Amino acid sequence: MLRPRMVLKVAVLIAGVCGPVSAMAETFPSRPITFIVPWGAGGGADQLARIVSKLVEPELKVSVPIINMPGATGQTGHTKLVTSPADGYTVEVMTGDTFALFIAKNARFKLDQITPLAVMIQQPSGFFANATGSLQTWDDVQKIVGDKELRMAVTGYGSPDDMSVNYFKNKAMKFQSVSFAEPGMRYASVVGGQSDLIYEQAGDIRSFIDGKQIKPVLFFSKKPVEGFEDVPYSGKLGYNVFLPQFRVIVARAGTDPAIVKTLSAALAKAADTNEFRDYLKLQYAEKNSFIGPAESLKFMKDWLAEASQLSQANSDAALVK
Amino acid sequence: MDSFDLLLKGFVEVFKWQDMIALVIGLCVGMAVSVLPGLGLVMGVVLALPFTYSMSLETSIILLTAIYMSGTYAGCYTAILYKIPGEPMDVPLLWDGWGMTMRGEAAKALGWALVAALIGGLVSSAVMVSLAGPLSRLALSFGAPEYFAAVFFGLTTVVALAGKSLPNALISMCIGLLISTIGIDSTYGSERFTFGSDVLLNGVPFVMVLVGMYGFGEILDKIGQGSKSITLPAVGSTATSLPSWSELWGLRATFARSTAIGTLLGLIPGAGATISSFVSYGIERQYGKRGRQIGTGIPEGIVAPQIASTASVAGHMVPLLTLGLPGSGATAVILAAFLLHGVQPGPFMLKNPESAQIVYTILASMFVSVIGMCLLGFVWIRLVIKVLKVPQGILIAVIALFALIGAFADRNSMSDLWIVVVFGVIAWIMERVKLPVAPMVLGAILGPIAEDSFTRSMITFHDDWTVFFQSPISAVLMLLSLVSLVFPMIKSALQSRRRSRQVTLVEAAISANSG
Repeated sequence: MLRPRMVLKVAVLIAGVCGPVSAMAETFPSRPITFIVPWGAGGGADQLARIVSKLVEPELKVSVPIINMPGATGQTGHTKLVTSPADGYTVEVMTGDTFALFIAKNARFKLDQITPLAVMIQQPSGFFANATGSLQTWDDVQKIVGDKELRMAVTGYGSPDDMSVNYFKNKAMKFQSVSFAEPGMRYASVVGGQSDLIYEQAGDIRSFIDGKQIKPVLFFSKKPVEGFEDVPYSGKLGYNVFLPQFRVIVARAGTDPAIVKTLSAALAKAADTNEFRDYLKLQYAEKNSFIGPAESLKFMKDWLAEASQLSQANSDAALVK
Repeated sequence: MDSFDLLLKGFVEVFKWQDMIALVIGLCVGMAVSVLPGLGLVMGVVLALPFTYSMSLETSIILLTAIYMSGTYAGCYTAILYKIPGEPMDVPLLWDGWGMTMRGEAAKALGWALVAALIGGLVSSAVMVSLAGPLSRLALSFGAPEYFAAVFFGLTTVVALAGKSLPNALISMCIGLLISTIGIDSTYGSERFTFGSDVLLNGVPFVMVLVGMYGFGEILDKIGQGSKSITLPAVGSTATSLPSWSELWGLRATFARSTAIGTLLGLIPGAGATISSFVSYGIERQYGKRGRQIGTGIPEGIVAPQIASTASVAGHMVPLLTLGLPGSGATAVILAAFLLHGVQPGPFMLKNPESAQIVYTILASMFVSVIGMCLLGFVWIRLVIKVLKVPQGILIAVIALFALIGAFADRNSMSDLWIVVVFGVIAWIMERVKLPVAPMVLGAILGPIAEDSFTRSMITFHDDWTVFFQSPISAVLMLLSLVSLVFPMIKSALQSRRRSRQVTLVEAAISANSG
């Protein structure tokens, strides 16, 4: 039988262990939250982080300063997140490009190192051509890509862009990926005729689409893309490649669930503002891009499985060849 | 309303108090950040971005453009006065600027930089506003081979930096190129020379090499000299800092060449002020009237890179406003400011009268920024020059502090501070084994861009190296590069042959006489 003094000691011990955490969660946030952008200032991830930071600050009542930590396809900034304390005071915006690195056999990072707070934006990707060039439609592309090599501007090899291009290469289409890490150079290459096509998201090249310099020829989607209903999409043409671009806000795994709830709730409110809806519209993004924390994990797992499957199918097809 | 009317109305808009205050603040911020080694103008634009959320679009962009503009100028102070470049683009400035400072002509050197920034900024803005369309199309025709050829030409400025030994300079440059390959390669994502270290995985940013080798290396050198440290010659009169009309007229060809290079290279996405500055310096070395004296401390060596750096701002801003193309780090952030205000810059902006006025107001603000920057600079020169009288010990401590703050702010990484210190020590050792430091910095700055464009050319053209000689632009640039590399070698070989023949003749004469 436990003596009262023993019970008291145990109680004090439990309070000592759990107390600070619960107290921390109750008072969270009491100081600024660092928002890591693992890409350079001005890019898509940076733009999202800046608008989200602006919208969540009134909700959380602390400042949410952004720090850009570019390098190694987002791995530099991601390293900072997974080595920071799991206290919710460091969050990161992660993109599909960094996430695609998770499928490698000896990947440096794993999904169980992070806790998703919310998927904020989903955009269908697609192939785009120079609006004044000879390739005006997907039919035009198909007519010549069997005989003539077409240059496709992508962000880098091993990226979702490259995986999607390889899918078509294995269908006897003579595409050649040419990597441009700098977005400006990638866009300029297709406007200036250095590349025949570009793999992109419509929102990122909106000014070129509106300015009638670049036009979409094929989208990777299961349904028609809003605003481009007459452009063919992979689901309609029977191509088994979809991989949307997405940007998710994550914290380190092991963060107190109450803190995760506070952060996710603030993000949900930000996503529900007119300003954020206008931003999504400007980005040609899915109207219902926002996904809460629980469903975000499932979304990421599904995305990873699809990317992995695509990568494997590409390797198998290349081996058969 | 035609373009000229829109521009005139733009000038009226810029002089409204909100825009004017933003412009002056922007100029001061740009000057402050670019003076600090490591803390570049892009960082200045990024730091100012959150303050623009509550401003109107026009005021926001005017503020950021002013930071961008003055950021290309104020780095000349530290480069010329302390041999510490604030930005990579300021590196060529110090090669001649420091030489003039050592001769007691610091105020004159700063005066040349000021006039260069003024002329480069105004002329390129005027050219870009009137010829934006055709020039942008020309820039877009630049493919990977042309790009590589331009960078390769920039690398051949090593000849100007060789000093007494070209082989030593080439070795130093190759070490710089090798350092630029550390980390994850941008094309295939493979790890190179990382030895399993997280610090090396991120590569060695050239800004750290720059701050380390020039900033920290210089500090170590001064500490090593202790009380024997060389004191700079007293500055004569600060009133004579600006060049005279006749001096300006004498450099008219340099002004014309460098403005053209800065504007054209500025147009090419990704090229930026750094490449413009290096290429312009290289061209001056090759084709300037006093090309052979470049590197010894002559105004041409200051004017050429400074003009090109400032001229590149208009070269980048106009494609952003008219085509929506962000060609540099700073314009990428300015693009983000547009998007945060819910506007996508691009050709359609000129079609809507309201947004067209915003575009022309921003263009007008570029002219006002250049003039404002130079007025501020003129006042600054008189103040800054007095800093040379500050005791060396205090100056070293202040420079070390700012170099480390700047290095940390670039990526918020402590390991970058160690990189700065390591490269400072490397520079100190190199000075002692007679290996020039400048070519290594040149290699580290231009290496990543050279590798990227070379790999892309090889992938695109299936490993056909003749591609660099197929288009007229790249062929001309490659041939100029090769000539500038090979010519000094042939010249020195001929000279040594002539010398040995003379020695043989003298020996023969002596032996004939003694016989």
